[in-house]
Amino acid sequence: MTKPNAQTSIFSGVTLAALAAVILMPLVLPSATLATEILIFAMAALGCNLLLGYTGLLSFGQGIFFGGGAYIASLSMIHLDFGLFGALVAAMIAGSLLATLVGALAIRRTGIYFVMLTLAFSQMAYFLAYTLSDWTGGDNGLLDVPRPALSLFGFELADLTSSYAFYAFVGVLFLAIFVFARRVIHSPFGTTLVAIRENEGRASAVGFSTNHFKLLAFVISGGITGIAGALYAMLLNFAPLSNIELLMSENILIMTIIGGTGSLLGSLLGAGTIVLLGDLLSSIWPRWMIILGVALIAVVLFMPSGLWGGVESQCKRWKERRCTAGKTSGKAQEAK
Amino acid sequence: MSLYLFQALNGIGLGMIYFLISVGLTIIFGLLNFVNFAHGAYYLLGSYLCFTLVSLTGSFWLALVIAPVVVAMLAWVTEKTLIRRAYHLPHTFHILITLGIALIIQELSIAIWGPIGKTVAVPDALSGVISIGDFFYPKYRLFVILFTAVIALALWLLLERTRFGALVRAGSEDAQTVSLLGTHIHKLFALTFALGVGLAGLAGVLAAPIRGVHPFIGPEVLGLAFVVVVIGGMGSFSGALVGGLVVGLVQSLMTTLWPQGASLMIYGAMAVVILLRPYGLFGRA
Repeated sequence: MTKPNAQTSIFSGVTLAALAAVILMPLVLPSATLATEILIFAMAALGCNLLLGYTGLLSFGQGIFFGGGAYIASLSMIHLDFGLFGALVAAMIAGSLLATLVGALAIRRTGIYFVMLTLAFSQMAYFLAYTLSDWTGGDNGLLDVPRPALSLFGFELADLTSSYAFYAFVGVLFLAIFVFARRVIHSPFGTTLVAIRENEGRASAVGFSTNHFKLLAFVISGGITGIAGALYAMLLNFAPLSNIELLMSENILIMTIIGGTGSLLGSLLGAGTIVLLGDLLSSIWPRWMIILGVALIAVVLFMPSGLWGGVESQCKRWKERRCTAGKTSGKAQEAK
Repeated sequence: MSLYLFQALNGIGLGMIYFLISVGLTIIFGLLNFVNFAHGAYYLLGSYLCFTLVSLTGSFWLALVIAPVVVAMLAWVTEKTLIRRAYHLPHTFHILITLGIALIIQELSIAIWGPIGKTVAVPDALSGVISIGDFFYPKYRLFVILFTAVIALALWLLLERTRFGALVRAGSEDAQTVSLLGTHIHKLFALTFALGVGLAGLAGVLAAPIRGVHPFIGPEVLGLAFVVVVIGGMGSFSGALVGGLVVGLVQSLMTTLWPQGASLMIYGAMAVVILLRPYGLFGRA
């Protein structure tokens, strides 16, 4: 056995940073509910990042999987008496199935048409949810969604009604998904996705069946986003129609891009920034989304690698400055 | 039977409005090679300007002329200040910039006109119905069909018979060569963007008395335009026309058969087209 290298080890710096963020957030933020919301959207952004950052697929369909996961989890808990894990698994499967459906149709086209198709399907899902108001509650949303206790084989381990208990559960789940996403990215499968992003023609010429890879990326992304949707419904005790609106897809996309695509911590940073911004500003100024639009344009024009890219280049500059300040210490660091 | 004729005419009127929206999208895509995600937002702006102009001056005709021109001018300014900076960036970045613009326009519209929808009255000269035998049809809707047909013809002549149109078509094939041959390509880009967006604004004005104005209509309009160009094929005038009419007719005929599902069926039609003809009815690979 060779020693696991830093990239594939689950105890790498990136994972530790995510762990630190999960531990610190409830201590720093005013409420655990806000921290939970950040983690849930960070999950959704992770799913989006797998598609956009690593496969190069700009999908306006993330809201379908988010909303679909929320509805299926809620319905399975209300009508079928599913427990916590049952509902989450149901949401994951629903998200993956929806992603298979949307993905299979959308990847028949590439480039701009692909983007337009995902947006059109997003609208379709919205109208579907609106039309099936007997199941989804239509405009009013699905009310009285329970938040079941954490139980294993019939034994109740923990009650999640307190916001801190629920945060802890979401935190563990987030870290698990984060580690999973890292493993996916650094696997041969993940590197193939990056190859498709960089040059689909070449990837296919080398012999990869690119459509299968793209579809699988969709399925993974849909599953993760579905879980996020289910957790959001449990957090709110409510599954609103806005979960499946185009605006949700746009929000998830904006979080991913502002945070920085192609880096998993970027998704956490992006989700944190947008959720906090929304929380702070929406009470003062209901039209705060204007700032979101301006921020999106600014990031695209001036900071295309997102906030995380900005942090990284800032760190690099800082290191360089330290190197020039004291050459001996700089060399010592390089020797390491 | 007359019910179906009624709905078919409604569908044609609706389809022609969809045509105006999508043909703008298509012209912009053809020359500038990116999809304008703010197209629905500019439609919204057209509708709201129509509302304001009608309530200020009382004249729909003034609104019909001024609102699209104002929208086009705004688009021209946006192109000059923002979109121009992104031409050298990948496709994705254009989408994101126009998405940002769409968010800003939508939220500003709510800030200015409030979150509740507005209605625009049909101009006096066109209120009431026209009767052909025992068949009655609203005058305004008939006017929309005829007016958009004239606009479509004028647009076709502009694109096919003028120097500007020739440049746009040549630029769609190869913008760099056109630029090397001595055309100020950036001017052409800005004018084309303004023209395409102005058409969306015009569609917004025409639709305002029929459907009212609602601040969240932007994404819906954008989605519909995408369905039209996916069905008809991007970059072709005839594709936008046929696609628009197909979508309009499907929507309005389905309204009689299954009112709740009418919007759903449009997207269903699109899925069928994607499965059978992935490049659209008129599209090339």
